[in-house]
Amino acid sequence: MSEEILKALMQLFAIIAKQDVGLSVNEREFVENFLKQQLNESSVKEYLALFDSFSEAAKPKKKDDDPEKEKKPRLTSVRDSVKTLGIAKKINKTLTQKQKVVVLVRLFELVNSDKNFTPQRMAIIDTAAEVFNISKEEYNAISSFVIESQHEKHDFQEVLIIDSQEVANENSHYIQSPQLNGSIIILRVKSVDLYFLRYTGDNELLLNGLPINKQRIYLFANGSVLKQPKGKPIFYTDIAAKFLSDSSAIHVSFKAEDLGLTFPNGHVGLRDINLEEQSGKMVAIMGGSGAGKTTLLNVLSGIDKPSKGFVQINGVNLHEENELIKGIIGYIPQDDLLIEELTVYENLYFSTKLVYRDLSETEIADKVNKVLLSLGLYQRKDLKVGSPLDKKISGGQRKRLNIGLELIREPAVLFVDEPTSGLSSRDSENVMELLRELAVRGKLIFVVIHQPSSEIYKMFDNVIILDEGGHQIYYGNPVEAVIYFKKIDNQINSDIGECPRCGNVNPETIFSIIESLIVDEYGRTTGTRKVTPVEWANFYQENKKTLREQQEFDPLPDSFKKPNWFNQLKIFFSRDLYSKLANTQYILLNLLEAPILAFLLAYIIRYIDDPTSSIYVFRDNENIMPYLFMCTIVALFVGLIVSAEEIYKDRKILKRESFLNLSRSSYLFSKLSILFIISAIQAALFVLVGNTILGINGMYFEYWLMFFSLSTLANVLGLNISSAFNSAVTIYILIPFLIIPQMVLTGAMFSFDKINRNIGGGREKVPVIAEVMPSRWAFEALIVNQFVNNRYERQFHELRKMESLFNYKNVYYIPELRGFVETYRSREMAGEENTISADNIELIYNEIARENNSPLAEKHKIIFEDVAQINTEEFDMPLAGDILRYLDQLQEFYRLNFNNLNQTIDQRISQMVSTPEKQAEYQELYDDNFNTYLSRFARNTMAPLPLVRLGNRLVQKIDPVYLDPQDRRTLSFRSHFLAPNKNFFGSLVPTFYFNVGVIWMFTIIAYIALYYNALGKLLTSFETLGGRIGKIPLKFRFRKKKTADSIGPDKTIQ
Amino acid sequence: MKKLKLIPLLLPLFALFLTAGCQQGQRQEATDLLSDSLITADVRLDDDVIGEMISSVPNPVEMSALLQKSGVVYSQELLNPADNVNNYNTNFKRALNLGVYGTDLVYMNIYDRTIATLRYLSNVRDLASDLRVEQFFDYETLNRLSESSRNIDSVLFITNTGFDNMSRYLIDQGRGNLAVLISYGTWIESLYIATHVQTVPPNRETINIRIGEQKKVLDNIILLLNTYRQDPNFSELIEDLMRLKREFDKVTITYVYKEPTIEEIDGMVVLVDNSRSEVNISDEVITSIAEVVAEIRNKIIG
Repeated sequence: MSEEILKALMQLFAIIAKQDVGLSVNEREFVENFLKQQLNESSVKEYLALFDSFSEAAKPKKKDDDPEKEKKPRLTSVRDSVKTLGIAKKINKTLTQKQKVVVLVRLFELVNSDKNFTPQRMAIIDTAAEVFNISKEEYNAISSFVIESQHEKHDFQEVLIIDSQEVANENSHYIQSPQLNGSIIILRVKSVDLYFLRYTGDNELLLNGLPINKQRIYLFANGSVLKQPKGKPIFYTDIAAKFLSDSSAIHVSFKAEDLGLTFPNGHVGLRDINLEEQSGKMVAIMGGSGAGKTTLLNVLSGIDKPSKGFVQINGVNLHEENELIKGIIGYIPQDDLLIEELTVYENLYFSTKLVYRDLSETEIADKVNKVLLSLGLYQRKDLKVGSPLDKKISGGQRKRLNIGLELIREPAVLFVDEPTSGLSSRDSENVMELLRELAVRGKLIFVVIHQPSSEIYKMFDNVIILDEGGHQIYYGNPVEAVIYFKKIDNQINSDIGECPRCGNVNPETIFSIIESLIVDEYGRTTGTRKVTPVEWANFYQENKKTLREQQEFDPLPDSFKKPNWFNQLKIFFSRDLYSKLANTQYILLNLLEAPILAFLLAYIIRYIDDPTSSIYVFRDNENIMPYLFMCTIVALFVGLIVSAEEIYKDRKILKRESFLNLSRSSYLFSKLSILFIISAIQAALFVLVGNTILGINGMYFEYWLMFFSLSTLANVLGLNISSAFNSAVTIYILIPFLIIPQMVLTGAMFSFDKINRNIGGGREKVPVIAEVMPSRWAFEALIVNQFVNNRYERQFHELRKMESLFNYKNVYYIPELRGFVETYRSREMAGEENTISADNIELIYNEIARENNSPLAEKHKIIFEDVAQINTEEFDMPLAGDILRYLDQLQEFYRLNFNNLNQTIDQRISQMVSTPEKQAEYQELYDDNFNTYLSRFARNTMAPLPLVRLGNRLVQKIDPVYLDPQDRRTLSFRSHFLAPNKNFFGSLVPTFYFNVGVIWMFTIIAYIALYYNALGKLLTSFETLGGRIGKIPLKFRFRKKKTADSIGPDKTIQ
Repeated sequence: MKKLKLIPLLLPLFALFLTAGCQQGQRQEATDLLSDSLITADVRLDDDVIGEMISSVPNPVEMSALLQKSGVVYSQELLNPADNVNNYNTNFKRALNLGVYGTDLVYMNIYDRTIATLRYLSNVRDLASDLRVEQFFDYETLNRLSESSRNIDSVLFITNTGFDNMSRYLIDQGRGNLAVLISYGTWIESLYIATHVQTVPPNRETINIRIGEQKKVLDNIILLLNTYRQDPNFSELIEDLMRLKREFDKVTITYVYKEPTIEEIDGMVVLVDNSRSEVNISDEVITSIAEVVAEIRNKIIG
């Protein structure tokens, strides 16, 4: 209590005490006792002196006022009233409402000490209460609580009576406590949420370990315990429960019947678990290690599906109709699920936002602050949570914060996995009291707990004890449990559950009985248990109570008011953003990674070809093609790295939030938006630095777009593995598997013409296996874009494309085709047999038919009409002659047009270089934009053959970058490598944009896979399969062993 | 005689041009890329004649071999710098310098400068590729052969046939102008090297005579170029060559007649021509020829 409040109290006490008859001995004693309770010896004296001086000082005045008093004996002196008013107002300024209530109660107490309720005194208290803004009802309640001793007078909503006998009051609450002498009366002052306690009996009651004085009124603070010499201690939570339980909470009936779970690998996790619980209970799940506690918790909470039996909440099957139920279940795993980079406040803040749609910012802030206060974390709200290794707040605080996350939401059923592990006993008790309080408020709480202290153990309403192999061997009252096991074990004192003197229960007893081992004749313990789990389970089956059948349930509450999809996205996004921004290392690394890599790469490969020159010429840089290749690899790498751990890192939080029934897609979209922003920035920095250093002129946007697209795809891929795999190491081991095939099948390192034919090497089109490599699309797009769209080439590209086509036809294609016919003719003339093979005829047919159908044929009108005759039956000398004439004609057409076009281009260039200035300008354009080596690659000038025969077709191999796709069927999207355009539903689309589209299509597919966690499911099914395969030989071996060695220990193995 | 024989050959060619012209007229609606402005049948030497005349232009191997035999020291400075290849943007320049580099390549090969040839080889290939006649250079093979001096004969053979085939092909394809330019490039580069090498007096004589003999070749070349004189680039070349011709006019070639004799060589009776040309060329003329050649050649490679 502060000095301020004490001084004010002394003054008020003095004023009250001096009224009427003046200060009585009792009153002074009360004040002294009161001070003694609050202060040490020396201070008591000091304040008592203060009190005396106040009351003494009033005395002479009292005499002066005598005549007045005579006149109006029943009225308080105006002076005192004014004084009271003054003090009360002063108190108003400094004290909180709670403190004011305390002051008021003390005032009553003072008067009560002497039972001297004169109107004057009451008037003073009235005045004070009025100034303190205490409502009339509460004032009356306090007044009767302090003054009255009859139960009937305490008939208020806000009063609770603890007595051995039933109290017949209509309004007040009642708790029965058989061994209690007298009664305990508890008053709740609702407006400030305070509980006051007084006791009328003679028992040695201990409030938080201190004896209770009958005369006094005590504040029954949060977490207090009232112990009686005999009987159950009374917890704050028990009291609070009486007042709160009937307020808002929905009634939940929770039932599990015949639950069984068999793991994919054949191990049995749970067998025939039955339980039935109601709101307001706290249930412990206990058992030795490996008994299946957490498994049971997971099944009860709906995370895992039981292989047998069902779980019902208010008659709704948890696993079948989970959509209806999700919102009312909360789960607090053993590990932290805090976002380490965020502060205590922010952690709660985002959780709150995710849960409450309708609250305004201030309401959320209020709510969070309130929870922080009740968690005792308010002082630390701005501290970063930090990782368990780099602690900023203590373990107990972390745990409390974890609980706070659920507390804010107030789920009707809460599952808690080992909340006290790793905590000090003080912290453990704090945490458990927090949970107890939740239960008191009408929640149903299941807690997996390991080695609870007596204190904690007794907090539970029920306990479920499991034994090895998932057998349920006990379900019921915790103290009874001790008795039950002791009885079975035939121990002495088996009917005493707790220590008669200290009231302690030792739950360890239970486990030492359950797990006790047989001792052999030498006194050594053997590995065999006295009572097997099956036997324990059988004992339980004999003794168990039948679960009650409930037919009517409250309707399930609506899922909590979660925000809509977009708002969830916003919240997830800002939560992620804040946590990322808080991590400076992360931000710095991600921002610098791309430009540093770009700088290293570009600076290393920027070189001057001419040893005598010191001017860098882009045209002569042989490394541009490798640079483009590296761009794709870096984009993939950077994208994967940045995302690979994202979901994995969040998995615990996700597990908890899965109970919130939040939208997975808005979570994923928030992840993606952040990653995409990072990728966009990285792409921009990379391209800016890399392209500038290498002197790649213009086209920043195209490079950025491709780098960005590829990075984002890698982001989504990274998220896929992140959500599917369960360890960071696995994730990083996987990255090479994703990257290396992409490097190999880009088309840069290994030409598609020179890879294994079994996977599609050396065909006309890109091998199918490479078609699924995003890197190949990106690389192709970059090469084609760089070649076609640079400022130099784009002036001539269309002309050169035609020129290339005409040249190819004229120089390679038609002569080759003619060769087949001429060979036939010469053989025929020489009178040979088998002058032409069916394949060759088919080839001639194919090619001529193609020429006839080519768009150019329509223009040049050179069409071979008798194409249908080119078949094995009708192929003869006259037809061959016709074909040759046709080919001549065609070749002539191509030749003339080639010359024509070649000269057109030449003239254009000639004009561009007609004067020395223009020549220099042209040279600059050429040097800065055209790259010789890239051009050689794109035009495949090193091709060993300009055209090849594939099946019965001739396929052009040179100038791929000038060759549009040959297969123009509507649904044929594939083409040869480095085509300048792609076939898209029969029309041509520039390769760059087509490929960007393909990459985004990959991204969408990867996103869908991510949404359904396809990879994760695939892995699980593999694991299941693996488990089954692994199981067979094991069983087999086991059976063999048993037949061979039948004298072995008689183990029951299920 | 030869010209007469060509007339029947010319007729179908003309016919072809005409039909091509007609078809182009129709095609123009579809694509204006294929304008017909360039296909014009000009009065000029017949393709066959051009082919004949081009093959009469001396092969650079002869000149280079002569230089080597005469003990002339190899000089890299005389060659067209390899980097210049980047400056050749038009077909005109490319063709001329394809010839120039071809000669350089031969010169280097004769002198066993195998490592240095690689860049010239790649230049030749690049220019040929730009002119769309890359198919005549098996670059891979040449590159491989160039690695060892033992293969010089093969390299020279492949290069030579490559150039020959290329000329023939270009003429066939109606791009005889390029063939003429390539041929002219080879010739002027040979002449340039011959006029600029450092020599000792006795050998100088043979070389000078060989230079003097080019008088006839020059006439042929002017005739060849003249076929395409409507192209301003060509007329410029002709103008330059006319200056060179004025210098060469100072060279006198006298024909000394001697009775031919009949001899038996390897069991065959052969008529041996004993007449020979005597070239009379003064040192001053050589100097002035060298000057003009350098001027012309540097203009080409610039």
